[in-house]
This record gives sequence, C-alpha cells and structure tokens, in this order.
Amino acid sequence: MIDYLSIALTHGLILLAAWRLLSREDLDRDADSQAKPKPWLRAPSPPADPSDG
Amino acid sequence: MVDLVLLAFVVAIAAMGLKRPFLWVLLYIYVDIVVPQKIGWGLITALPLSLMVFVLAFGGWLVLDGKQGSRFTLRQGLIVALLAWCGMTTLGAQFQDSAWDKWDWVWKSLVFAAFLPLTLRTKLRLEAAVLVIVLSIGAIVISGGIKTVFGGGGYGTLTLLVDENAGIYEGSIISTAAIAVIPLVLWLARYGTIFSPQWKVTAFAAGLVFACLLIPVGTSARTGLICIGVLGVLLMRTIRHRMLYAGLAGLALVVAVPFLPQSYLERMGTISGYQGDQSASTRLAVWRWTYDYSLDHPLGGGFDAYRANSFTYQVRRVTGEGANVSVEFGEVTEEARAYHSSYFELLGEQGWPGLGLWLLLQGMGVWQMERLRWRYARRDAGGTKGWQWGLANALQQAQLVYLVGALFVGIAYQPFIFLLVGLQIALTTLVAREPEAESTAPRPWLRQASV
Repeated sequence: MIDYLSIALTHGLILLAAWRLLSREDLDRDADSQAKPKPWLRAPSPPADPSDG
Repeated sequence: MVDLVLLAFVVAIAAMGLKRPFLWVLLYIYVDIVVPQKIGWGLITALPLSLMVFVLAFGGWLVLDGKQGSRFTLRQGLIVALLAWCGMTTLGAQFQDSAWDKWDWVWKSLVFAAFLPLTLRTKLRLEAAVLVIVLSIGAIVISGGIKTVFGGGGYGTLTLLVDENAGIYEGSIISTAAIAVIPLVLWLARYGTIFSPQWKVTAFAAGLVFACLLIPVGTSARTGLICIGVLGVLLMRTIRHRMLYAGLAGLALVVAVPFLPQSYLERMGTISGYQGDQSASTRLAVWRWTYDYSLDHPLGGGFDAYRANSFTYQVRRVTGEGANVSVEFGEVTEEARAYHSSYFELLGEQGWPGLGLWLLLQGMGVWQMERLRWRYARRDAGGTKGWQWGLANALQQAQLVYLVGALFVGIAYQPFIFLLVGLQIALTTLVAREPEAESTAPRPWLRQASV
C-alpha cells in the first residue's frame, strides 16, 4: 500500500514534468545563447547597468 | 496491477519522446535507478527494459537530436579509459563467471556516464535530469521513510520497493544515495523552473529530505549516519546563518533521539568501539588482505577478486548464566568477504591503474565544481547566487557525501555516482560556453588586493 502511494506520487510527478517539458522551447536550445543575457539573475531589469562598478 | 501501471508509465514517457527525443534519456535515468523491471512480476520483468530504453536514448540522440554544444571532455575520456581497463581486467579475471556478471552492469553504468553529458546541452535539460534523479530516488526513499516511521525498519529488514537486497536497494547503498541526493533536492526547490519555487514545491522538498534522513535509520546502516554528519558539516560552509543552523541541527538531534528505535541506537553505538564488532574487524582484515593482494597483482584481479580471500580467527563464545558461565574459544574461517569499501574494491579489482583513473575522475569533479563555485559566487540584486553556483555546490556536496560513504561500502561503479559525474561534466561544459561570466567573475584569491 505504502509502496503504491510512493510510486503513484513520484511517477505522477515525473509524468507531469515530462508533459511540461514538451512545450518548453528551451529544452533543445538555450533561448538566449546568442544575446548573452543572464536569465538566472531573474530581475526584469534592462541589460545595461552602469552603476555596477 | 503495479506491472501495468509501471509499463503504462514507461510507454507514456516513450511516446512523449517521439516529440522530444531527450525524454528517452530521462527515461533511461529512471530505469537505471528505479529498475522497474524488478518491482513488477509479470510482463515487465520479461522485457530487457534497460537495453531497450538505452537503444532509444542513444538512437534518439544520434538520429533525431541536435548536437550543438555537445563536447567530448577529458573526464569523459577518463570514463572511457576506465571502461577499457575494466574490460581488460575482466578478460583476465581470476573468477570468470562472477566477473562477467558484474561487467554486465558496470559497462552500462560507465557508457551512459560518458554519453549523458553529450545530451545535456541546455540548462533546462540539466535541470530535468536532476529532477528525474531526485524523483527516482524519491520513489524508493518515500516508501522507505514512511515504513520507517511506522516501525518497519531494522538492519537488512526494511523492505524497499523490491524484495531483494541488491544494487541501489541494498541498505547501505540507498542510505548513501539518499543522503547524497539531499543537496540536489534543495537546489531544485530553490532554482527549479519545471516546478518553480512555491509552497507546494517547498513542502514536497521538505518531506523528501525528511524521508531521505529516515533511510539510514530504517536500514540501520552506519554508513548513512556518517554521511548525514558529512553533509551537516558541508552545509555549514554555504549556509548563511551558521550559528542558527548549528543550533537548530543540534536541537533536532536532541528531539530525534528519543524517537529512534533502540536497535538503531545500539547499532550506531558500535561505530566507536570497532574492536568489539566482528563486522568492522573483518572489514579491516579484508582491507589489509586487499592491499597485500594489490602488491602481488598490481594490475588488478578483475571483478570480484575478493573471492580469493579467507580469514581464520579466534572467536570467544560465552554461554550460560551466573555461576555456570562457560567460555569457549573456537576458530572460525570466513571466505570470500566483500571489500566493503569502494577504494579497496577498485584496488583489488582494477589494480593501481584503475584506482588511479577513478580517483582522478572524482578528484577532477570536486575541483571543477569548486572552480565553478568561485566563478559564480557573485550575488544578484536580490542577494541570491546564480543557479550555476547552486548546482556546482549541490553536485560537489553530493559527490563528497558519496565519496565518504564509499569508504565503507563497495559502490565504486554504481550508476548513481556515475550519473552525478555525468551531470558535473555537463554543467562544466555548459557554463564553459558562457564567455561573459568569465570576465565578471569574482576571484576570491584577488579579493584582498582589489578592495
């Protein structure tokens, strides 16, 4: 019973993840590999920030 | 029933892979860790699932997938060299039958590790691979954790999904892997984009980490306790509020001890008094034997060379009670004791060259992750460090936990560690394509001069 619960939960999540990956363009190509922005910075700020220095 | 569910799951992911062939790589990672063909007992056990999915994953990459950004690096070369060396020692192995049995799974583990980085070309792929590793370990760990809570534990008695004590389902191995995976869980909870950070993700991650911590308790594996200690120390290095963390960890320990089963506490008590423990003293004897063996066979004896050993020692037996106590001395001979250490496993099986290759492969991983930690240590406006820093840090912690656990368990060729190595190589290759970061990277060794 506990095994089934664990299998259902984790396998369900893997399926959901796979489903979400299907529609992600950046799975096959890093979208911003040309422009060199830093998506991990997360802030929606403009690329140039002269105050940083 | 569970057969059909697992089979339907595999078929569903395989079908989705028709649109995105990379999903087949993820499917192989899942099959490699969970081994669903062992969980079921009907149709799924009859299929050569691992081979079928490997062919899908490799074929999909070869024929359908892009190769942009794929690199073959020095560490992949080391894996291939180790594979070739293992092949040579297997040909000349002292115990041919068991050597070929072991070769059957070791080569897959090594080949996939060399292949995996070629497919992990984007950040999202890397994240997806980490996620599948975490959830696959999670499938084993969550059920093990719940059973432990309800008192199903004990050394060698906690049944995980599979009714056999082999591979990743062996108590000490799953304990090591469960603790090693914790940093990856934390990274996903913080930097994930497939499941972005929100309360549900945090709650799941917290539950999963708790389940991971319960596995060494449930399996009563002493190695697991040591791994928890190592991880606790490693986390001190990166956590912001160290004193608070140390205080909370200490408090958690004090609160947890009364809840730990008596059998567990007794077994853990034997860590310090190793001379009174037969398991530990045989271990030391095997290690001594292996060292001597390596002097005679510097190029290794092939897989399972430990079968050549035998030990005879005196055992003291006390029988009776009170005034009728009698003590007898007897001789016991034990044969074919396993290495119980990855380092001696390599030394005995692959000799000094094999051990050297493996150590170089692992050592380079620790070093490369350390370099990335320096390179991406800068915080952004919100005070967060980059995902690269986080992943390099998590992969380094996972690897170090594994390397310490490997001191006491023969897990040198486990697919799990080679998946971690594959992820490290992929991360290093991926960020090497980011020229921008190099110039802005802080250099801690220059810090004093520049301030």
